[in-house]
Amino acid sequence: MTVADEPVRTRRWWLGASFLIGAALTGLVVAAAMVSYVWTPYAPTQIAILNRLKPPSAANWFGTDQFGRDVFSMIMVGARNSLAVGLGAVGFGMVVGTTLGLLAAIRRDGWLDNIIMRAADFTHAFPAVLTAIMITAIYGPGMLNAVIAIGVLNLPYFARLARGVAIQIWTREFIQAARAAGLTNWQITLRHVLPNVAGVIVVQATIQFALAILAEAGLSYLGLGTQPPNPSWGRMLNEAQTFMAAQPWLAIFPGAAIAIAVLGFNLLGDGLRDAIDPRLRRSR
Amino acid sequence: MIAYILRRLFALAATLAGAALVIFLMLEILPGDPAAVTLGLNAAPEALAALRAEMGLDQPAPMRFLSWVGGLLTGDLGLSYTYRVPVAQLIGERMAVTLPLAFMAIALATLIGVPLGILAASRHGRPEDAAVMVFAQLGLAVPNFWFGLLLVLAFAIGLGWLPAGGFPGWHAGFAPALKSLLMPAFALALPQAAILARVTRSAMLDTLQEDFVRTARAKGLGEQVTMLRHALRNALIPVVTIMGLQFSVLIAGAIIIENVFALPGLGRLVFQSIAQHDLIVVKDLVMLFAALAIIVNFAVELLYGLIDPRLREAS
Repeated sequence: MTVADEPVRTRRWWLGASFLIGAALTGLVVAAAMVSYVWTPYAPTQIAILNRLKPPSAANWFGTDQFGRDVFSMIMVGARNSLAVGLGAVGFGMVVGTTLGLLAAIRRDGWLDNIIMRAADFTHAFPAVLTAIMITAIYGPGMLNAVIAIGVLNLPYFARLARGVAIQIWTREFIQAARAAGLTNWQITLRHVLPNVAGVIVVQATIQFALAILAEAGLSYLGLGTQPPNPSWGRMLNEAQTFMAAQPWLAIFPGAAIAIAVLGFNLLGDGLRDAIDPRLRRSR
Repeated sequence: MIAYILRRLFALAATLAGAALVIFLMLEILPGDPAAVTLGLNAAPEALAALRAEMGLDQPAPMRFLSWVGGLLTGDLGLSYTYRVPVAQLIGERMAVTLPLAFMAIALATLIGVPLGILAASRHGRPEDAAVMVFAQLGLAVPNFWFGLLLVLAFAIGLGWLPAGGFPGWHAGFAPALKSLLMPAFALALPQAAILARVTRSAMLDTLQEDFVRTARAKGLGEQVTMLRHALRNALIPVVTIMGLQFSVLIAGAIIIENVFALPGLGRLVFQSIAQHDLIVVKDLVMLFAALAIIVNFAVELLYGLIDPRLREAS
C-alpha cells in the first residue's frame, strides 16, 4: 500500500452526514412501506363518513380525509406504491440502459454505438412527462403506464453512464490480458467490465430513484399515475386541494412524505458517491 | 464555423423529424384507430366514419404523416375535436399564459439561484455555504406542486395577499394578471433556483482556482471586482448551459403547476385534451413541447460552441 492510498482507506465515509441522514430517511420510508404489509392503524381504504375531516389527534395521528380514511395509514401504504413505481421504473432503466451502454462500449464508434447513443440523445431531449402523457392518452392512466413512462426517461442516463465508464475500462491493461487469454468480448464485458461499472451505476440508480418518486407523485397528482382506491401521495395532494383552506393537514403530510423520500434517496446517493469515488466529492 | 453551424442545423432537423415520427407512431399507429380512441367505446358507427374522414384516416399512414408535418410547417394544425376551433388558435390563446409564466420562473430562478451560488462560493466551507447547500437539497426534494400548495396556504388562504388560482386574462390589466402568475412562477422556480445555486457555486469554485483570478488578485483588484468581473463571467458558461438544459424540466413542471393554480395555459390544455381524448390537440401539443425543448437545447449548444472554440472541433 502506498501513502497516497491512505486517506481514502481510513476515511470513514459511512459517517458522512449525507450518507447518515440519507440512510435514516430512506430507512424510514422503506420501513413504513414494509410495516404497512402487516400493520396499519386503520385499513387505508376504510371509509368512515362520521369521522370525516378530523384534525390530527391521538386516534388519527395525521387526521382523516373527506371520506374519514386515516391519513397516516394512507401515507404508509402510499410509501409502498411510491417505492414500487421507483423500483420498476429505475430497475427497467438500469438493466436495459446499462446493457445498451455496455454493448455500445464494446465497439466504440461502431454502428451499434452510434445508434444507441443517438437514441439516448433523442430520449434525453424529449421531456419525460410528454412520454407519460402520450402513453396515458392512449392506454389510460395507471401505475404500470407510469412505470413505463418513467422507465423510458431513465434509460439514457444509464446508457450514457455505463458507456462512458466502460470505454475507460476497455483501455486498461487487465482487459488486454484477458484478451490475450482468449476471452471473448462478451466474457470480458461480464467478468471484467460490468463489475467495474456496477458501483457508479448503483449510485446513479439511487439518485434516479429520487427523481422517479418525484415523477410518480407528479403524474399521480395529475391523475395519470396510481389509481384509486390505491392510496398514492400525489393523488392525496390533489384531493387535499379542495379541503385545504379548512383542513390544511391534508395537504401537509403527503407532501412532507414525498419530500422526505426524495431527500433521503438524494442524500444517500451523494453519500454513496463520495464513498465509491472520492474524486467526485461534492464538497468542492 | 459555418460548417459547424450547418452540421448542428442538420442534427436539429433530424432530431425534430425523429420526434415527429415517434409522436406520430405513438398517437396514430399504436392505438390502432385514433378515431375510436377519441370517441370512446360506445361511439355510433356513423360518427366514427365521419371522424375518420375528418382526421384523414382513410389515407395511407405515410401520406397522413407527411400532411401532418406539412401542416406543422405551414401553421395549419388541424381542428380540435372537442373545441371545434383550429388548434393553432387554441395554442395561441394559451401561449399568452404559459410563456410569461415560464419567463417569470426563469427570471426568479436566476435572481435567487445565481447570487446564492456566488455567496456560497465566496464563503466556501463557512456557515453561509452550508446554508446554501441545505437550501439546494431541500429545493430539489420538495415537489414544486406541493410547494405551490404551501404558497397558497400561506399567501392566499392565510394572508389573503394573492389569488389562490385562476387567471383574469391580460385584458383585465397588467397588475392583476401578473399577480396571479406570481405564486405559480415561484413554485416553478424553486427546483431551478436550487440547481442554479449548486451549479453556480461549483463553477465559481472552479474558476476561483484559475491563474487569471490569482493574477487579478495579485494586481490589487478588490475582492468584489475579482469575483464579479473575472470569476463570475467565466463561471457563467456552465450556468447558462444548465439553464438551457433545464428548459424541458421547466415545461414538464408547467404542465403540473398550471393544474395546481387552474391557469388556462398550454399545460392545462394538454391535460384537458387527454381527459377528453382529443388526440389531434394532444399530438400537436406534444410536438410543440418537444420542439421547444429540442430547439432550446440546440441554441444552447450553438452558443456554447461560439463561446468555446474547442467544442466546435470536438463535435
